[in-house]
Amino acid sequence: MNTYYLYSILATAAIFTMLALSLNIITGYAGQAMMGIAAFFGIGAYTAAIITTNGGNFFLALAAGMLVSGAFGAVLGVISLRLQADFLAITTIGINFVMEALFNRMKITGGTLGLTISKPVIFGVKMGNKQFFFLAVIFIVILCLLLVKMRKSWFGMALASINNDSAAARSFGINVNKYQILAFTIGTAMAGLAGGIYAHRMGFISASDFAFVVSIQVVSMVVIGGLGTIRGPIFGALLITSLPEILRFAKDYRELVYGLLLVLMVRFMPQGLIGDDSPLWNALTGLWRKVFPKKKTRADLIVESVKGGEQA
Amino acid sequence: MMKKVLSIVLVLFMVVTMMASTGIAEAKSDTIKIGFFAPVSAASAAADGESAINSARLAVKLVNENGGINGTQVELVDFDDGLDTKQAANIAERLAGDRDIAAVVSGSYSGPTKVAAPIFQEAGKLMVSAYAVHPDVTGAGDLIFSQSFPGAVQATGAAVVAAEQLKATKVAIIYVDLDFGTTQVNAFKAKLAKDYPDVQVVYEQGVAISDSDLTSVVTAAGAAGADLIYSVNYYEQAAEVLRQVGMQKLGIPVLGTEGADSWMLLDIAKEYADGLYITTNMNRDDQNEQTQAYIKNYREEYGKEPDMVGASVYDAFQVLFEAMKNVGTDTQAMKEFIAGMKNFDTVTGTLLYYNAEGSAVKPIQVQLVTNGEYHFFGVVDDAQIIDPANY
Amino acid sequence: MFLQQLINALTIGSLYALTAMGATLIYGILGILDIANAGAYLVGAYVGWYIYYATGSIVLGFLGSILLVGLLGIFLQRTIYSPILAKPRTLSIIPLVAAVGLFTISSDAVRLICGPNSKTYDLKFPMEIIQVGKVTIQPAWLLIFALTAVLLAILWFILNKTKLGLAWRATAGDREIALICGVNTNNAMALSYILGYGFAAAAGIMTGILYNNITPALGEVPSYKMLAIIVLGGLGNPLGTVIAGLIIGIAEVFLSVYTKIPIPKDAIAFVVLIIMLLVKPEGIMGRRNKV
Repeated sequence: MNTYYLYSILATAAIFTMLALSLNIITGYAGQAMMGIAAFFGIGAYTAAIITTNGGNFFLALAAGMLVSGAFGAVLGVISLRLQADFLAITTIGINFVMEALFNRMKITGGTLGLTISKPVIFGVKMGNKQFFFLAVIFIVILCLLLVKMRKSWFGMALASINNDSAAARSFGINVNKYQILAFTIGTAMAGLAGGIYAHRMGFISASDFAFVVSIQVVSMVVIGGLGTIRGPIFGALLITSLPEILRFAKDYRELVYGLLLVLMVRFMPQGLIGDDSPLWNALTGLWRKVFPKKKTRADLIVESVKGGEQA
Repeated sequence: MMKKVLSIVLVLFMVVTMMASTGIAEAKSDTIKIGFFAPVSAASAAADGESAINSARLAVKLVNENGGINGTQVELVDFDDGLDTKQAANIAERLAGDRDIAAVVSGSYSGPTKVAAPIFQEAGKLMVSAYAVHPDVTGAGDLIFSQSFPGAVQATGAAVVAAEQLKATKVAIIYVDLDFGTTQVNAFKAKLAKDYPDVQVVYEQGVAISDSDLTSVVTAAGAAGADLIYSVNYYEQAAEVLRQVGMQKLGIPVLGTEGADSWMLLDIAKEYADGLYITTNMNRDDQNEQTQAYIKNYREEYGKEPDMVGASVYDAFQVLFEAMKNVGTDTQAMKEFIAGMKNFDTVTGTLLYYNAEGSAVKPIQVQLVTNGEYHFFGVVDDAQIIDPANY
Repeated sequence: MFLQQLINALTIGSLYALTAMGATLIYGILGILDIANAGAYLVGAYVGWYIYYATGSIVLGFLGSILLVGLLGIFLQRTIYSPILAKPRTLSIIPLVAAVGLFTISSDAVRLICGPNSKTYDLKFPMEIIQVGKVTIQPAWLLIFALTAVLLAILWFILNKTKLGLAWRATAGDREIALICGVNTNNAMALSYILGYGFAAAAGIMTGILYNNITPALGEVPSYKMLAIIVLGGLGNPLGTVIAGLIIGIAEVFLSVYTKIPIPKDAIAFVVLIIMLLVKPEGIMGRRNKV
């Protein structure tokens, strides 16, 4: 079996899982239409690449990419307070285009020739796709644990309330502005980290790697998987990054089939394939409960009755 | 919660594994397999992608009709990279990990080729890049060859043509804002500054590859008082430069590059194409048997005219075939053979030799469009100019 | 040169206005950033090309393409967009992903059916290039001005003088209230799509004539640039869109010719937009409807 091919796909999938999860913090939890995540992916990638090509330490470079990207993200978070919904969406698209243009023009980013990055050597092992995959998985697990905790804690509650109704959140004394900026900062910092890994895994980056289409791809991953969940973006990222390889059997019709799948998935499951309330997810969890029946606690019953009331 | 996530990840892991293993476990065949990738499905690169894959198929078909490589048939294993470096990395790993693949030809642009090159080098597979212009493609190692000359070579040649044959004194430069454009502009200006200090660059403007409106740029070039426009663009933009120069009645001659070497430029620019000079590697008036046979076969097979991209891909295959006919399919043997090739006739000119970096050295053809066809105008074969090692 | 550049800028600005009008009309009613409108622009350019080559009449090419692509718009609205929007709590990025899928399908279907190579209109104008001193005016430019004016006049008439137009304006103003008042919002949506996709088709053909070149990648630049224009014009506001198109055209030409800013023309639209949004977050003409 060709494990090199497999790890190549998996490394890309894992990096984009990080991106999808980070976008999900901004869009899924904080409810902000972010359409330019690739700009921050790029800021992280170039920052890290510039550091290691100048002899810096790989992990230091990753941290720097994360910080720089997060700092830019915090600024965007402040700006986002002034802009509503679709205005913010377009502004972030604009930021994506401007950043791509700057990557293509600036000397420090290698201009049109891009940057060639040699693979880092960690503990005497030259990093390959396999190592990058596992490195990304470690970050994904950490991020997931963080997200679970965040969702349960007051931060998550605040974000959830912003998402549904920011006016209501304000009336409960929740500082919406603070959480929105925080969501942008954490989300873009994660995207920057993913960028650092991406730059070293590819070995060559140029401006077009961080174009608007990449942002759109990440948005698709989150929406297809299920906005506002943890499992959704992971599933969406794995699916969308491996689809081009899975669909190779379709030969010349690959792109067409890809577009068709995208439309059909959103048309029939706008909540995401495995998002909350999606038919597929309900069937899966139903099956899970049948196989592993669990006694209902009092809290579950209350939640169910509340949900039933909502639907009625 | 985490359990569920974990189980989903595991299921997907298995799906991907199964998918990856299909097509690898094929029985060892008795054909010579050559890997190939080109940007077939990316809308913006699809015309070049089609030209590339068509020429690759034609090359394999013709060699098989003539008895294959010393009696063994050749099989093309082709992939579409969608002009996406991530897909190119996947494809490269797949081809590199397949023991049956004897060698690889890149029929793609700089990005995908640049990402794929180190993967092949590390896996010990030989790759010939057909037309990628990034100056560092061959820098990945000794197994990576480039069949076409890098941008700096033809741009230096272009500077000589501009100054000596076209007698330009004030040049306006319009270029595509990609590695293709910037490397050539830099080399062009460097040559002018070094050998022709009287020739001024009066205007310089980069345009994004996606930009189709060049009206204002051409107006500005004309207003700057240029007596020659050096257009370092691909054929669509070069055609628009020609149309605007014609329709704004500026009467300034245009010097293009191999990027403008396409029948589609003639089709778009129509009568405004006449008088265009280009630097390229394909001489359509060449009576060489190879060139004429390729043009004739391509027309018959696909009902279209061949272009520079297609010809370059075809030639990359000829280089490989020649090596395989002489030394078999051992990578090291092929590498040494190709590195030592001399005066090999190809469709895109006589390949004089490969320099130490693995880059082809060939004379620069200068073509002039007359009556809607590319014709021979001149040739630059100064050894100082055409060896990429001098840059 | 200034006068020539001003004419260049107004030409490209008019074309932008024409291109973005379709997306504006759709946004006005449905609140979708319809990237797939650029797919209609692409398909329209090809349908127009085939009709022109079959009949030899460019007028038929325009009319046939506007009609067919408009009908395609209604079909997509009925089968794809309305069902998605009917679900409660739909964020605007969800239909956007469907639009991205539709755009991908349109580009790739055109590539597969019509081939990846350039096709040319080779339209022969019954007039010469006008030359006054050093300034030239090309016939295709006059066609753009005329077409933009005619289509805008038709649009104004439909929106302001017909019952359907009244329904459109009522729905764009406030859908809930319009529904309560007995306005047929379904018809308003259908009108948005037939006009929105029809406009895109006309703009696609016009672009094909102007550059004498259509390829499957034709829709890529409009797919994002028209978003900047409709936002600058105040989302969903047709008059604002015309002004925004002209502003972007002028900004692109003059910034790229007279300054040394290190940003390509394509990104200039967004720079203008970002600056303006920070100064005046509700767009040039204000918001016509809730966002």
